[in-house]
Amino acid sequence: MASIGIDTFFATLAELNAALKAKEFSAEDLARAVSERLQQLGPRYNALALGLHQEALRQAKEVDKDLKRERYRGLLQGVPYGVKDLLAYAGQPTTWGAKPYAAQVFKYNATVIDKLAGLGAVLAGKLSMVELAGGGGYRLPSASLTGPGLNPWDRTRWSGGSSSGSAAAVAAGLVPFAIGSETSGSIVTPASYCGVTALRPTYGLVSRYGAMALSWTLDKLGPFARSAADCGVILQAIAGKDSKDPGSAGKSFYYTPEYARPMKDLKVGYAPSDFAEWAEPATRPAFDAAIAVLRAAGVQLVETKLPDYPYGAALSTILAGEMGSIFEPLIASGKVDELADKPQIAGLKASLELPAKDYLKAMRLRRVMQDAVIRMFGSVDILLAPGRAGIATKIDQPLDRGAGGTPPKDPGFRAIIPMGNLVGLPALVLPCGFAEGMPVALQLVGSPYSENTLLAVGRDFQTRTDWHKRRPPTS
Amino acid sequence: MKLTRRKLAATLVSATALSAQQTQPPPPAAPDDLLQIARDRLKANAAALSAVPLPMGTEPAFQFKA
Repeated sequence: MASIGIDTFFATLAELNAALKAKEFSAEDLARAVSERLQQLGPRYNALALGLHQEALRQAKEVDKDLKRERYRGLLQGVPYGVKDLLAYAGQPTTWGAKPYAAQVFKYNATVIDKLAGLGAVLAGKLSMVELAGGGGYRLPSASLTGPGLNPWDRTRWSGGSSSGSAAAVAAGLVPFAIGSETSGSIVTPASYCGVTALRPTYGLVSRYGAMALSWTLDKLGPFARSAADCGVILQAIAGKDSKDPGSAGKSFYYTPEYARPMKDLKVGYAPSDFAEWAEPATRPAFDAAIAVLRAAGVQLVETKLPDYPYGAALSTILAGEMGSIFEPLIASGKVDELADKPQIAGLKASLELPAKDYLKAMRLRRVMQDAVIRMFGSVDILLAPGRAGIATKIDQPLDRGAGGTPPKDPGFRAIIPMGNLVGLPALVLPCGFAEGMPVALQLVGSPYSENTLLAVGRDFQTRTDWHKRRPPTS
Repeated sequence: MKLTRRKLAATLVSATALSAQQTQPPPPAAPDDLLQIARDRLKANAAALSAVPLPMGTEPAFQFKA
């Protein structure tokens, strides 16, 4: 068996692919090393929901047969990965991070798992998450079947939610990439807190078949990876029409870095108060430096305002209506009381009482919001904001610390997470520095199906910086 | 100053349900109180939405596929 060093655990897809083709190690060697590392270190971060060591070795042996015959399937061939434990994998537990579903087993695979398997990617494990992806509104990081997600940069801090394990596992070099989900902030937040590049795709671009539904009109699946380029490769693999997902947009995605628009042609909208006032003081030097990098790249930064709407209220109302319907059997059975977080239990119970008129009002307003936001993209190509305004919270700290410094009078882009999710916009998270030893990240948000533009900016940023290559001290 | 449930819920209007940017003060432990806070939050959200004028012809932002 070939020796696999620590650098391999932090390698990009292109680097892993080159090593596999050069026979520096086999896919089986890589799968064994990664799954053993995941089993050994995953619990250290409460990141592992289920190890799939034997399954991974079986898949990797098949990949090796293909590689031996020079049947190449792209950069994902032979690369191990993990999925958030809300994706069905036939014959294995899928807990949704919640005690009432701890013994749940499906007979089929999620579409994204089948798509990745078709390209030779090797599923090494399922990764922890906030229970029910946070549906109902949780108050503590401990709202998970596997305990609070621990941040690889400081295990006294939270890894973020709800895709806690996906972000932590990539940050700690336990898997080269992972799949997570976002309904409102569940990719952006953990990626920002853990210092990982991640992509929230346009709504409908990636099939959710086999994923736990929290909100039919808000849920999205997306990758956590080593770089923007890797996110592009993974998105191309998992995107596409799926008749089994009623929300599927019926569109494919082709990652085309060769056709990227020049940076100088791009107008990037931002709100200065987000960085100068809303962001916690310790994070501001990192944000200032990151903005300087973008300016040096040639993008045109223009002050922009979001259309003025109650995005948070609309999102919460829509979410309450849809999750109440989805989890009504859980609530009615009383098993909802087995969840770990008491405010979350109350939030789920209350959701059953949401009047239909309120849900419909929110969905009608959503149409108006969509129109206004799309109009805004007539004058800018991308929106820029802090991924989070502060560093990761302590694991014993309620999530009511606030979003950063004292909220400035100017609302800036503070509603960019609910706005982006309501309108179904793609977002790219880029690590951009550190504050108090913890990662800080930018988020770039684009118009629907503008992933290639976001990835081009991300790729350019990552040729000028190395924040995405930094490794946690204990890894 | 006494913090009423309604005032408490009003502070939560702009918070997203799933991200960590919620701004609620520590809730009491009693399940009934937590449920009431959650109900008040729904009402506060509805009040915020009602404040936005909406043309009568505006249809909801979802599509059904036949």
